[in-house]
Amino acid sequence: MNHIVKFFPIVFGVLLAVLLLLTFQSTFKNPFFSMKEGKPQEELSYHFAFYLPDSDYSFTENFKKGVIEAGEALKCGITFHSIEEEPLSLEMAAYSGIDGIAIYPFQKSSNILEYVNKIIDEGIPVVQIENEIIRNENSFQIGTNYFETGKAIGNMALILNEDKINIAIIYSDKTPGLSSDNNLIEMGIINVLGTRAGTLTTKRTSLNPLDAERLTYELLRESNNIDVIVLTDPNDTLVTVQAIIDMNMVGSVQIIGSGDAPKIKEYIEKGVILGSIVRNPYRIGFSSVMALREINLIGYTSAYVDTGISVITKRSKE
Amino acid sequence: MKSFFPNSLHSRLLTYFIMSLAFTFFFFGFMLMNSIYLQEVADERFANERFLQNIKDELSNIQEPLEKYLTTFSSEALSKLLFTTETLKETIPSQRKIVANNQELLKREIYFLIDTYLEKATLLVEQKRGRKVTEYTNSFEEITKLYRYIGKRIDEISLQGFRGQLEEYRNFLILFRKVQIYSLLLILATIGMSFSLLTNAVISISVPMQQLSKMAGKISLGDFNIPDINCKSVNEVNQVAEAFNDMKNSIHHYIEALQKQKEFEQEIMTERVRNLKMEQLLKRMELYTMQAQMNPHFLFNTLNTGVQLAIVEEAEKTTDFMENLAALFRHNLREKKFFVPLRHEYDGLVSYFNILKIRFPKSLNLTIDVDESLLDRFTCPSMIIQPIVENSVIHAFKNKESAGTISVRIDYEDPLLIISVKDDGVGIPDKTVKELLKPTTHDYRLSSKVMGLENVIQRCYFFYPTCKDVIDIKSKPNKGTEIIIKIHTEVKPCIEL
Repeated sequence: MNHIVKFFPIVFGVLLAVLLLLTFQSTFKNPFFSMKEGKPQEELSYHFAFYLPDSDYSFTENFKKGVIEAGEALKCGITFHSIEEEPLSLEMAAYSGIDGIAIYPFQKSSNILEYVNKIIDEGIPVVQIENEIIRNENSFQIGTNYFETGKAIGNMALILNEDKINIAIIYSDKTPGLSSDNNLIEMGIINVLGTRAGTLTTKRTSLNPLDAERLTYELLRESNNIDVIVLTDPNDTLVTVQAIIDMNMVGSVQIIGSGDAPKIKEYIEKGVILGSIVRNPYRIGFSSVMALREINLIGYTSAYVDTGISVITKRSKE
Repeated sequence: MKSFFPNSLHSRLLTYFIMSLAFTFFFFGFMLMNSIYLQEVADERFANERFLQNIKDELSNIQEPLEKYLTTFSSEALSKLLFTTETLKETIPSQRKIVANNQELLKREIYFLIDTYLEKATLLVEQKRGRKVTEYTNSFEEITKLYRYIGKRIDEISLQGFRGQLEEYRNFLILFRKVQIYSLLLILATIGMSFSLLTNAVISISVPMQQLSKMAGKISLGDFNIPDINCKSVNEVNQVAEAFNDMKNSIHHYIEALQKQKEFEQEIMTERVRNLKMEQLLKRMELYTMQAQMNPHFLFNTLNTGVQLAIVEEAEKTTDFMENLAALFRHNLREKKFFVPLRHEYDGLVSYFNILKIRFPKSLNLTIDVDESLLDRFTCPSMIIQPIVENSVIHAFKNKESAGTISVRIDYEDPLLIISVKDDGVGIPDKTVKELLKPTTHDYRLSSKVMGLENVIQRCYFFYPTCKDVIDIKSKPNKGTEIIIKIHTEVKPCIEL
């Protein structure tokens, strides 16, 4: 027994050393501790503020992704602000020490116009994304050309056999960029259809993801001569397709959707959807940062940057 | 290996005490420092939020006196306003780096907003002093909006910060819990370490003490044949053990010496007793001889007369008998020495044999087988062969009807002179043989019949005390007895009384 006891101090000594090591290891390897000793942050060149509508739909997410990655690539600091519930933030933007502002003006309000003008007056570069609400030499627009989008929709509708093609366009609060304010989409459609253009009805869905279904029923009950329903939001597209299937009107009413979700592509392949308009939100976001940086660096950029669209149809998939 | 520390009890206890204390202090200190450090890190995490709240409070300390100044023209409010404005200017960082951190960027925006707010506040005071009522009314409305906006932004950023730190807080809790568990284990291990050191110190002292105690117990029972204690303890205990070993060994040696002395004295006493007994034996023998000599002198003279008478009467047998008897008596009377030449013994034996042949011409056969050359080379104790033969004549052939034989043989087997007297009589019982061969004298009154033989045996033992087999008796019932005397010719006989 005494021989065993003789080794106890060594055993406890080793135990103490192991525990000490474990304590150090746990402390220094814990994320809480490692966060403290972060790398010194690199100083960036510019600070840009983005004023966007509150939306967590894929368009906004991809747009933000493009902005953030551009910020990282071009060494620019980016902050996001809400334009929807907090227009006051836009009012105060001029005092925020920022080097440029990108705004997504999905609705035209006098307040927003006033604040943007004020920012422009302060000499801060402003980029308007998708919708141009102010035309000013110090303000630039980046995004999709809606007239071209309308033309693409018109071209898809042309394959229908009807003499007069009656079209219903369903805009969505979920994709506020595609605003009807300028009627550019409608103008593009009419420009392509010419004499074959029939009635052109416009509706708008709320943020409720099922609102499109209600609206489709309503629309088809009100008017039984609609040939094509145009949707500007991917979620609304899928909901509307389901409503058309439920109403057993596949083929009698054609759908031109929005987005390139796998389900949408599947419907296109099956012929349920005539085609889909795909914008590139990532590219829009990335281009916004590039434009703001360019203005700060050399004082100007292109007055309008078209990030383009792509069209998916059954033929294009083949 | 020589220890770094002195091996004294005092030093060892002091070392263990200091080590235990050092371990305890070190690990408790480590745990304390670790906890404090973690708390500091946790505190740093919330420093940002505290800083923002502090700014918000400072803004409030500007807005309130500003309102008061605008409404009452209070110089006290103005001084407070100016003081707080300066304080806030110093509080917010002047260097506002743009970094890839959303929180930092939002804070940067707030700093610029505060700059604007402070500029507008200064302008407002000037407008008030200039009594530009319309302007300062509009400006106040504008600055109030800005003040509320800044407050709201600070709250939002703080909230974001808190939300962002929820995960960090969780990590902190996990880490703190781990550190607490390890701290507890460290405390237990430290206690274990200290306790084991103390136990070892106690064992290093108590074990040798136990050994000493056991040894003392054994020594008190007289057992000194226990091994020495070989302990590796502190110097004090080692010295005690060493002293104890020395003491044990000294006592052991002393007792051994005493025992040897006692044995020696015992031997001397035994020797004395033996000598006394031998003296007694010799005196008895002397008495016996004297008694025997009184008559032989008379008989010897008478025998001489008888011999002359037989010669005159021409009786030849009687003449031979009487001559032999006279020769035997002469031999017995002549030998006063302890040791005599072997020839003397031989001559005496031949005379005795001649007498016996005349006495027992038919019932007794007597033979002597001796190498003549031995008779003058060696000596032997006097009167040792004839008493043995006489003992055989007297006792061996009792109740025996046939003729008996007595053979005497003297040989030399270097370095032993061997004298053998053999008869084919009734034999001697084993018990008697054992009694006879005991190297002690017997009470002759009880065994007078074997006195002559026993006298010879005891004299042999006396003269050759170191030769235990100087005499031997081989006897079988009704087969005979052989008495063998082996005289070691190189051993000097003990003839000193």
